[in-house]
Amino acid sequence: MGIRDFFARAVMRRRVKVYRIDDFSVEPPETKKGITRPKAHRIIPSITVNSSRPRDFTELQTKMKAPAVRMKLQWKNAAAINTRFRHYVKEDVKVQTYNFTKKPETSNSMLKQAQALPQERDNILKTIKKRPDSLKNEVILACYGPIVEGAVLKLVLNKQRGTLLVWYKAGSRQLKAKNVYLIRRLELGGKPEWRWV
Amino acid sequence: MASNNTLGYIIIDGTETMIRGAALITDAKGFPVDFVRTEPLRPDQLARILYGESFGKYAKEKLILESLLDAVETDPQLWICNDTDILTPLRENSRIKTVLLDESPHVPLDAAGHIEATADPGVFLIQAEPNGNPLRAQFPQGVRPEEVQQTAAVLTEAAATMNVLEPFTRLAKAINFLATGMRQV
Repeated sequence: MGIRDFFARAVMRRRVKVYRIDDFSVEPPETKKGITRPKAHRIIPSITVNSSRPRDFTELQTKMKAPAVRMKLQWKNAAAINTRFRHYVKEDVKVQTYNFTKKPETSNSMLKQAQALPQERDNILKTIKKRPDSLKNEVILACYGPIVEGAVLKLVLNKQRGTLLVWYKAGSRQLKAKNVYLIRRLELGGKPEWRWV
Repeated sequence: MASNNTLGYIIIDGTETMIRGAALITDAKGFPVDFVRTEPLRPDQLARILYGESFGKYAKEKLILESLLDAVETDPQLWICNDTDILTPLRENSRIKTVLLDESPHVPLDAAGHIEATADPGVFLIQAEPNGNPLRAQFPQGVRPEEVQQTAAVLTEAAATMNVLEPFTRLAKAINFLATGMRQV
């Protein structure tokens, strides 16, 4: 008996177990209803730009049409956001609206705060090549510049740092710059004073 | 809207977890005529993992810088920055002359307006003020010689009435102040 016949008989003797589908105890997976869609998060969050000036409405509309707008625009006049405007707003653009209790001029508050910061001038006495003729008889203690004298609102000497803080008037068109010297007269007991040159 | 005699200053600073930027446009006296700033950009850990070390550069160029340029309403005659990462993108996006300015320990040059090339390509010394050290001016790659001349002329003219580097200090103070002391409007 060849090996083929041996295996043929052995297999034929054994009953082959047949499984029916009902024999399986595995239940079909449950179908859950009401599964919420997973939230999609942008990896890079949108960015907010605060502008010191109210934006032109037409310009804003143009920007809203642009496909690559990533800004979170802050439109500071809630009344301006009408249905026409919303028509242009793309889904991926977030528009924040604010109810302002103050007048519209407050939209410039950021610029005003920036304008309120003084400019700081270092003492440039070491770099002055030539002593001014008008100060030949005085002891020069410090020199600050260039400063537009006609536009100055306030000057404050920072004694700790040795710098001069300069506040300019808003809207001044003066452009003639000078240096301001801190001098002391050679007379006995002379007090320090400022001199524009 | 282009405006003569104005200079634009941009700073973008931050850390691995927070980046922010601001732009200040000043008149010839250094007085602010426009100011915009971004809210701090805080990438989460996933963003930092996916972008890796390139996140900072990407955020500066694509997110902060472009947003600032979009928001600025007064185009200056010259953009001045202090960060090499944004020098070329600033030039390309704004299409306005751009320079990176810094102090230089070099001895004063002959006269105001004088320009001297350095060993570094695209870097020049510009004597903007009649006194004091020249400025170290770095230009975007491939800058034309006439653009260097024009920039030097602008800086020299501005230096007659203001300290051209001083607005950087004020700009940094302003965004720190606004970040800490100003309520959201």
